[in-house]
Amino acid sequence: MKKLLVLALVLILPFMIFAQGGSETAADDDTFRIALIVENTIDDKGWCQSMHDGITQAIAEMGDKNIEYSYSEKMLPVDAGSIARQYVAQGYDLIIAHGAQYKNLVLEMAEEYPDVSFAFGTSSEIGPANVFTYMPESEETGYINGIIAGTDTTSDIIGLVGPVDSGDAARYNRGFVLGVQSVNPDAKILVAHTGSFSDYVKASEVATSQLGNGADMLTGSSQQAIGALRATAESPTAMWVGQDLAQLTTEEGKAKCIAASAYNYAAVVKELVTKIEAGTLGGECIPMNFANGGFVFDYNADLKADWVSPELETMINDTIASFQADPDGTLANWADVDYSTL
Amino acid sequence: MLDIITNMLSMCIPFSVALLLASIGEMFNQRAGVFNLGCEGVMAMGAFVGMLIPFLAGHGGPVSEWYNVLGFVAAALLGALFGLFFGLITVTFRAPQGIAGIGLQMFGVGTAGTLFRHFVGGTQSIPGIPDIEIPLLSKIPFLGDVFFSHNIMAYLAYILVPVAWYVLFKTYWGLKVRAVGTNPRAADSMGINVSRTRYEALIVGGALAGLAGAYLSIAQAKMFSDSLISGRGFIAVALVYFGHWHPVQIMGGALLFTFAQTFQTIVQSMGISFPYELAVMLPYVLVIVVLSFTSRNQITAPTALGKPFNREIRT
Repeated sequence: MKKLLVLALVLILPFMIFAQGGSETAADDDTFRIALIVENTIDDKGWCQSMHDGITQAIAEMGDKNIEYSYSEKMLPVDAGSIARQYVAQGYDLIIAHGAQYKNLVLEMAEEYPDVSFAFGTSSEIGPANVFTYMPESEETGYINGIIAGTDTTSDIIGLVGPVDSGDAARYNRGFVLGVQSVNPDAKILVAHTGSFSDYVKASEVATSQLGNGADMLTGSSQQAIGALRATAESPTAMWVGQDLAQLTTEEGKAKCIAASAYNYAAVVKELVTKIEAGTLGGECIPMNFANGGFVFDYNADLKADWVSPELETMINDTIASFQADPDGTLANWADVDYSTL
Repeated sequence: MLDIITNMLSMCIPFSVALLLASIGEMFNQRAGVFNLGCEGVMAMGAFVGMLIPFLAGHGGPVSEWYNVLGFVAAALLGALFGLFFGLITVTFRAPQGIAGIGLQMFGVGTAGTLFRHFVGGTQSIPGIPDIEIPLLSKIPFLGDVFFSHNIMAYLAYILVPVAWYVLFKTYWGLKVRAVGTNPRAADSMGINVSRTRYEALIVGGALAGLAGAYLSIAQAKMFSDSLISGRGFIAVALVYFGHWHPVQIMGGALLFTFAQTFQTIVQSMGISFPYELAVMLPYVLVIVVLSFTSRNQITAPTALGKPFNREIRT
C-alpha cells in the first residue's frame, strides 16, 4: 500500500504542478470566446509568442467586441485533445491549435463538434467546413532577410539554421536563399537543420559550426533560433537577421540582430472572428503576406546606421512594395530552391 | 578541408561535456544497482538553478565569475538533493526504479519550467563562462584549437574521467559501490551497508547530473528554456550501456556521439545531397547499432541493476 501511495504521488505530482494556462477576461454570455493551444509557451520569443501577441493585439484592436481569450501551454498533440474538449464544453467559439502537428486532432474534433470553429497552421490545405487553416508565405520575409545578409556579408559565407524542412520554415529558408542570391550570387550558404523546433542547444551547436566555417551572417527560424542567435553573439564579427521581432529586444539581439520580420497574427485573428460572426466557420485557408498585413518588418535602431546603407534600405522598401503589389507571383519559384546546389 | 576538420573536432570536446558529466553520474548510480531514468529531470533542474543565479545577479548582463561558480555549486547541490530524493523512493521505499525514474524526469523538467516562468519569465540568456586559451598550447596548429581552447568546465569534466576511474576501481568506496550493484546480499553479509552505499552513489550521480545541466545553461547554450535538455538525459543513460559502465569507455561514447552530431551538421552545411532527416538521426542510429552489436553488455552489467534490496527477504 505504501509503495502504491508513493508511486501515485510521484506520477501525479508533476501533472498537478505543471498544468498551465490563463484567461485574459471574465466569461460573459454574449462573449466571443477564443482558445489557443500551443506546444511551447506564450513567451518563447518565437512561434507561440507570435500567435499569443497576435490574439491580444487583435482583441485590443477590436475593442468594440466582447472577447474572452484563454490559452493552454506545453500541450503535446496527445494531450491537447482533453483540453480542447474542455474548451468546447465551455462554449468557446474558436479554438486555435497553433501548429501543423495538431492537424489530426483538429480534424477529428471538427467532425465531432461541427458547430465549433477550429483553426490550425501552418497549412495551405483547405479543411472541412468548420476548420480554418493559415499559411504564412514566409518566403517573403526570408527574401528580405536574405537581401540584408547577402549585402552585408564580407566573407561571402552565410549560415542558415533551420528546424525541419517543412511548412513555413521551409518557405522562409528558401526565400532567404533566393534573397541572398539576388544580391550576391557568389555567396556560399551553409544550410543545416536540427530536426527540432525547440532544441536550443542543437541550434546553438549548428550556429557555432557555421561560425567556425567562416559564416559572418546568420539567420534561423522557429523558437530555437534564439539558441543560434546566442551562439552568434559569441562571435566578435558575425551578425544576425531574425525571423521574430522579439529577437530585437534580447540582449544579444540588441547587439547582433540587424533587422527582423515577424508574423502579424492579429490580421489573421481579426479575419477569423469576422468570418465566424458572419456565419463562415471554416473551409478556407488564410494566407499571410506583406500584402494583407500578415507580416511586419523592422530594423534594429542601434545597428541600422552601420549595417543598412541607404541603397540597401531602398532595395528592401522596393522589394516589400513589389510583394504588396503582387503577392502571388513575386516568389512563386521558392520551392525550386535545392540546398544541394548551394 | 583541414579548417573544416579542425572546426569539427574542436567542437567535440565542449559539446560532449554535458553528456559526459551526466553519463559518469549515471554510471555511479547503475554501478550501485540503481537504474535512474530521471537523469533528464535532474539536468533540467541543474540547468535552471545554474542559470538563475547569474541571471538574478546581473539581469542578463555581465556578472562576476563567482556567480557562475555559485550557479554550478547550487546545481550540484540541488542535483545531490534530487539523488537523495530518488534514493528515498527507490532504496528506502523500494519503488520500481523505472517508473520512479520517469516520475523524477517529469517532476524535474516540469518544476524547472514552472519555476523558470515564475522567477525569470520568457527565454533569457546570460553571458556565461568564456573559453580559455591555454598559453602556448592553444597556439599549436590544429591541436591548439582541438584541445586547448575551451572553457574551464570542459577541462574539469575530462579530468573527472580518470578521477571517476580511480574512485570506482581503486578506492574502498568504489569497491562497495560495485559490490552492492553486483551482489548486494554478499555485500551485506560482509558488513557493507547496502542502502547507505546506494544513497551515496545516488547523491554523487545526482550532483553530476545537476552539473551537466548547469553546463548546458551556463557554459554551452548560455541560456535557459523549458526544452533546453531535449532528451540529453536519456542519451546519457544509453551512453552508460554503450560504455559498459566504465568511465573511459563512457568518455569514448560521449565523444563518438558528439562527433557524429557535429559531422552530420557539417554534412548538411556542405550542401552534400543527403536527406537531412537521415543525417539528424545518425548519432542515435550509431548508439543503437553499437549497443546491438556489443555482447559484452551481458558480462559487464551490474547484475543487481534495477533490483531493490531487502535484507529481510532471501532471493
